[in-house]
Amino acid sequence: MKQTFRVLLAGNPNCGKTSIFNALTGTRQHVGNYPGVTVESKSGRFSIGEREIELIDLPGVYSLSSSSPEEEIVFKEVTAPRIDLIINVIDSTIPQRSLYLTTQLAELHIPMLLTFNMSDDARKKGMKYNIPKLEKYFGSPIVQTVASQYGGIQTLLNRLNETLSSLEDHGVPMLSYGADIDDAINAVAEKIDSLNVEKFRHVPSRFFAIKLLEHDTAAMRIEEFKSAAPVVEEQIKHLWDKHAINADTFMADRRYAMLAGACRDTISMTQERRREISDKIDLVLTNRFLGLPIFLLIMYAAFWFTFTCSEPLMEWIEILFGCLKEGIGAVWSPDKLPFFRSMVIDGIISGVGGVIVFLPNILFLFFAIAILEDSGYMSRAAFIMDGIMRTFGLQGRSFVPLVLGFGCTVPAIMATRTIESDRDRAVTIMVLPLMSCSARLPIYALLIPAFFPKYQAPVMFLIYIVGILAALTAARVMKSTLFKGDGEVYLMELPPYRMPTLKSLCLHMWDRSKMYLHKAGTVILAASILLYICNTFPEKKPEQFRKDYAAEIANLQKANTLDAEKLAAAVRLPGLTTEQITQIIETKKLSADQLKEIDRNKLSALQQKLVQSAEKYNIAVAELENARKAELMEWTISGRVGRFLEPFMRPIGFDWYVTTATIAALAAKEVFVSQLGILYSQGETDENSQNLRNILIKTYTPLQAFCMMLFCLLSIPCLATLAIIRRELNSWKMAIIEGVAMFSVAYIAAFIVYQAGTLLNIGTKLLS
Amino acid sequence: MKETAVKEMTLADLPVGSTATIVKILPEMRGRKKFADVGLVVGSELLIEAHAPLGGLIRVKILETSMALHKDDAANIIIEKAPEK
Repeated sequence: MKQTFRVLLAGNPNCGKTSIFNALTGTRQHVGNYPGVTVESKSGRFSIGEREIELIDLPGVYSLSSSSPEEEIVFKEVTAPRIDLIINVIDSTIPQRSLYLTTQLAELHIPMLLTFNMSDDARKKGMKYNIPKLEKYFGSPIVQTVASQYGGIQTLLNRLNETLSSLEDHGVPMLSYGADIDDAINAVAEKIDSLNVEKFRHVPSRFFAIKLLEHDTAAMRIEEFKSAAPVVEEQIKHLWDKHAINADTFMADRRYAMLAGACRDTISMTQERRREISDKIDLVLTNRFLGLPIFLLIMYAAFWFTFTCSEPLMEWIEILFGCLKEGIGAVWSPDKLPFFRSMVIDGIISGVGGVIVFLPNILFLFFAIAILEDSGYMSRAAFIMDGIMRTFGLQGRSFVPLVLGFGCTVPAIMATRTIESDRDRAVTIMVLPLMSCSARLPIYALLIPAFFPKYQAPVMFLIYIVGILAALTAARVMKSTLFKGDGEVYLMELPPYRMPTLKSLCLHMWDRSKMYLHKAGTVILAASILLYICNTFPEKKPEQFRKDYAAEIANLQKANTLDAEKLAAAVRLPGLTTEQITQIIETKKLSADQLKEIDRNKLSALQQKLVQSAEKYNIAVAELENARKAELMEWTISGRVGRFLEPFMRPIGFDWYVTTATIAALAAKEVFVSQLGILYSQGETDENSQNLRNILIKTYTPLQAFCMMLFCLLSIPCLATLAIIRRELNSWKMAIIEGVAMFSVAYIAAFIVYQAGTLLNIGTKLLS
Repeated sequence: MKETAVKEMTLADLPVGSTATIVKILPEMRGRKKFADVGLVVGSELLIEAHAPLGGLIRVKILETSMALHKDDAANIIIEKAPEK
């Protein structure tokens, strides 16, 4: 029979806890979220011989004080029943700080295994540990590791195995807060004992007594201990009156004093403290004047790396999906389930492929971010940017996610997890969709060259600036309304620079990419199918058309068929291949492709006439076919919805075509372009389609085009964004508010621009 | 040589590069416990490492760890500056 043990992994932030976790569990990890908060929960399994171990990686905290969501979670986890062991990871280079948490964990009387990590760095600093003495002091076995290089992991496993086999006889730490405080602790502990709370029978009453005396919010919230409050207050008053001791910070004070003593006895510094390399790097990187330009340079390098590395991969993916389409098209004959065939090929593969194409971008972007994060630079960046961001109601850590927003809003919102303050994080998330994401770029790339050929760069720049200004203004506004009041206390560690390990970088990258793939596999997949159906059904029956298109095309064709004389002239047209000539003889007409090949300079009079009439004919047929497709489109669900909403969208310059495209763009913003192409019956289009541009120029004014871009910029980028907002803020309400607010702002802005432009006659004609 | 003991000095007033000892933490300070947990307690020695560009952040080294905190909060920490070498 395999025995299963529950083991908690606890430690400060940046102590190398994650390296230990990765080294012990390998890939057998499960990453999730703690319910109700945005703190990541991680657990993994591994076994030593017959012992199966479930390892739970707690969030990194300095203390069990519940002064942050992370600390509250750790408090809850360590006071939960059925914990067999705590592995406490300690940064050997800063024992005093790391052991502060240990003193509190020790009060739980759960068997502990102390892991002094980064012991090589400590040795380099000239620190010598008296391990046996320390073991006695904390009543727990100690292992020294260098987890980033797998150093000491085997020893850790061996000691873990030993400890698990003799859990009953673990030692007792020698911790005392001094006689005065201990009296108060004992008085409260007695009261707790008398309450006899079943739920916490496994936790020593002394632990809760200390927490209650500290006014720990999580401990005070426990219903069962409410009746102990008078005793607690009495003891706090007593401490204050008699010894002028402020209980809430005095515990911290005493713990540090205890540790100072313990460390003096057990750790010797053989060398003078020298200024570390890390500090030297920081003299440059966080320099008052150089810091900002260097930061911008590093950000630029990160983006350059992302786009340079992902470009070839993106091309491959595009080719791959192209082959997939062709392959399926070849294997699946058009007469077998034709509807499903074209839904799979034109709907699903195109839709999902269009999203998967961005996967390399996501991979490399998060790889770059993981380097910045793991090396310790990210907190420097936050330190440098804090001043600027704070004037807009944000903070230093908001900057990187905002910049990421230019790429894709979904991973950018995921990147806000580094913001510790909940309010700042919420504001950052809410304004992020205003940063113009790369999915909107195809819209600008289609419209700007068509409508603003002479002012391409300035208009593009203007759009981006409008987005940034809107985001910053929105942040400012939210901070003074929805999220008013004092923020949380700001305290951020700047850990020493460290070389990131490849394994942790890859794990980090994979975590994020998984979420992105999930989006492609669920939301985008569903939207592609839905859009395909909406764009196809109901089908218009032949007798319902306004004109008999087939007959008219047949008539045109009849009138334009080449007779013997013309055919003789046609086959002699210069510039045609023999293959094309055979085609001409067979079909008795000139196709558009063939016309393109003809060398126009060497034509006889008859041939010239021939070419001209063929061109006229081709255009006429194409017009008829387009009109037929437009009628078909109008008849479908998409067309009907667009027509229905048209009166409402008229005031911002949208007709039903644009309205339909805007609705379809809820799946993903770039769909706007392809949907517009389908509506205008240009078949498959991308932002470089000149035909579509020509039609658009004929149909719309530059003012309307600008309003389209403005609306697309300010309204919600896609449903996936709303979904991620709901998940990250854990609130349907916030997601709905966000969607409604962005739509209103977009509508109002486009309304003002369109109405003012029309009134003042600006942009109603093409500038050229 | 100067007599500066009359006026209480706070962490916010310290120039970069100087070391000091905490003598008192004002009771009106927000998040006292959070600061205490990272070692900002009476008697602790600290070093002002840097001021952030364009902003109110101060970087302090305490117990071998660099911590960034706000000037507004730092103004509630009374310190005694160590004599210059």
